[in-house]
Amino acid sequence: MDVLGHLASGFGAALSPTNLMMAALGSLLGTLVGVLPGLGPTAAIAILFPLTTVLAPAPAIIMLAGIYYGAMYGGSTTAILLNIPGEVASVPTCLDGYPMAQQGRGGVALGISAIGSFFAGTLGVVALTFFAPFLADQALRFGPPEYFGLMVLAFTVIASLSGGSLVKGFAMAFLGYFISLIGLGPSTAEPRFTFNWGPLMGGVDLIALIVGLYAISEVFIGLEEERVAITQKIRNVFPRLADLREAFPAILRGTGIGFFLGLLPGCAPGVTVFMAYDVEKKLSKHPERFGKGAIEGVASPESANNATSSAGFIPLLALGIPASAPLAVLLGGLLVYGLQPGPLLFQKNPEFVWTVIASLYVGNVILLILNLPLIGMWVWLTRIPYGILGPVILLLAFIGAYSVRNSMFDVGVSFVCGAIGFFLRRHQWPLAPMLLAFILGPLLEKYLIQSLSMSGGNPLIFFQRGISLALIVAAALLLLTSLALVRYTRRRVKEETAEELAL
Amino acid sequence: MLVLLGILSLWEGWRLHALRTQMVAGAVVGDDTFPFIVGAALVLLGASILFVAKPPRVKVARPSGEPRMRMILGAGVLAAYWVIVPYLGYTGSTALVSTGLFRAMGGYRWPQALLLGGATTGLLYLLFRVWLLQPLPTGLLGL
Repeated sequence: MDVLGHLASGFGAALSPTNLMMAALGSLLGTLVGVLPGLGPTAAIAILFPLTTVLAPAPAIIMLAGIYYGAMYGGSTTAILLNIPGEVASVPTCLDGYPMAQQGRGGVALGISAIGSFFAGTLGVVALTFFAPFLADQALRFGPPEYFGLMVLAFTVIASLSGGSLVKGFAMAFLGYFISLIGLGPSTAEPRFTFNWGPLMGGVDLIALIVGLYAISEVFIGLEEERVAITQKIRNVFPRLADLREAFPAILRGTGIGFFLGLLPGCAPGVTVFMAYDVEKKLSKHPERFGKGAIEGVASPESANNATSSAGFIPLLALGIPASAPLAVLLGGLLVYGLQPGPLLFQKNPEFVWTVIASLYVGNVILLILNLPLIGMWVWLTRIPYGILGPVILLLAFIGAYSVRNSMFDVGVSFVCGAIGFFLRRHQWPLAPMLLAFILGPLLEKYLIQSLSMSGGNPLIFFQRGISLALIVAAALLLLTSLALVRYTRRRVKEETAEELAL
Repeated sequence: MLVLLGILSLWEGWRLHALRTQMVAGAVVGDDTFPFIVGAALVLLGASILFVAKPPRVKVARPSGEPRMRMILGAGVLAAYWVIVPYLGYTGSTALVSTGLFRAMGGYRWPQALLLGGATTGLLYLLFRVWLLQPLPTGLLGL
């Protein structure tokens, strides 16, 4: 069946009442969590993961993808109305979005942000539809050494997820690999790092780790911060024709930059949004308006953000490489449901893949509907006191950690990870590389052992096969590119916020 | 800490290596390979952070006053949750713990905390037990 035939059957499944409801519910919950100041998409997915654990794989991943998209959309609300970016990716939106809100044009800024996000998100999914199966098809020729090369390529993502210090990022990544070693060895099933303690034989559960590191630690960090609610009244969110005319070229450029840079495994949305903002400012006939409420300053980075988010699904679904922390959590979600992202996913589970891809189109439409007319409701919801929100998140975290293996040990692990996550975040040790390495660790080990067994222990096997050599060279080049882009973004973040923020 | 974990990984790799050479004759790689690599990397990175790279020290203000009290009480209630669930079951302990969390973290008065705790437990019960049929611990009382 060709791509369009697959997509049509995917739409058939995505528009079924259950899947449609899950896409709507995910988008709704994601937007809600995204709108709440201080919570980003990674924490949103981790906190709401428990709700999906009882569902079948397709509706569960549809809901998680909806949460991811929703949180991305919702993040712009606090950036524009409160000047609080939930993630680095929303920092450029603050630069012109907040001045627009101060001038009484907050509604228009939110409207243009939603329209730009919808446009970029949809174009990104169109590209995903045609490009991902092609990429997956190429990857079918891969053997263990090539897959090892792919895992090395995925390792380059760590450069862009390292935040302030690369050495800290790599240290956290190896800590993630270390934790992934706990349990039974893949070759002989010999216990490793279990110290003859029964519960450790099954290893550390991914969801318990995510819930602890991202959700529980987030609640305790939130207790320290002064949370503020949006008090502004939003009047009209529908931009005028003149606004649209002014913003449209910026939306197009932002989409292009976000999408093509987002295809590189080492390029997180935090990097592409600054690039899009700076390009827009350079191309503008009136660069002096930027930072004072230029509508293009909102349209371009918001479009780039969503285009990058969509582009990230291509390496995720086709190669199993997550380009950002929220996508790493999504990858974890797929693994929990017994689905291994990569070329074989398209071959073994085509119904699943195409249902999810079709649901991304549906989710984008749902989000546009949710974000334009219902913005007043989202703004009102930011007034929920943290004293209610925090305990509810902790109670959901308990169920999330427990429900995967029905184990109180996992609940304990999530509490311990919460404490560790709290400490690490406060001391600015990046969590995303640890999570990524924890997820990819077992795969890296499997392909390493298989490859070395094939070659009788000779590591030259990785350099003697064309594709594997190309992947390793590409990884080295990408690492250098990522380092340059990260340095550029870090400098720009510091210029704009006077802070070191994780990308 | 990283260096210590690295040494632990190398030590475990060594133990597994000895086991592999006894169990499987001729195998060149096995369960010990990755622990060796991870251990060596952790030792090198830990040493590099200590002596070479020295990333800038992040000054972190310790939580104080009311937020600190909320954190300590919240963490205490959470730890108690883990202890009492096997005995009281999910519903009973959630009712107690949610009330405690609203009191400790939200600063609500006891009647309000009780009301919020009861409502939250009821909603979670309906969502996870009744609607999603989630198997949650029932404890000694079968709740």
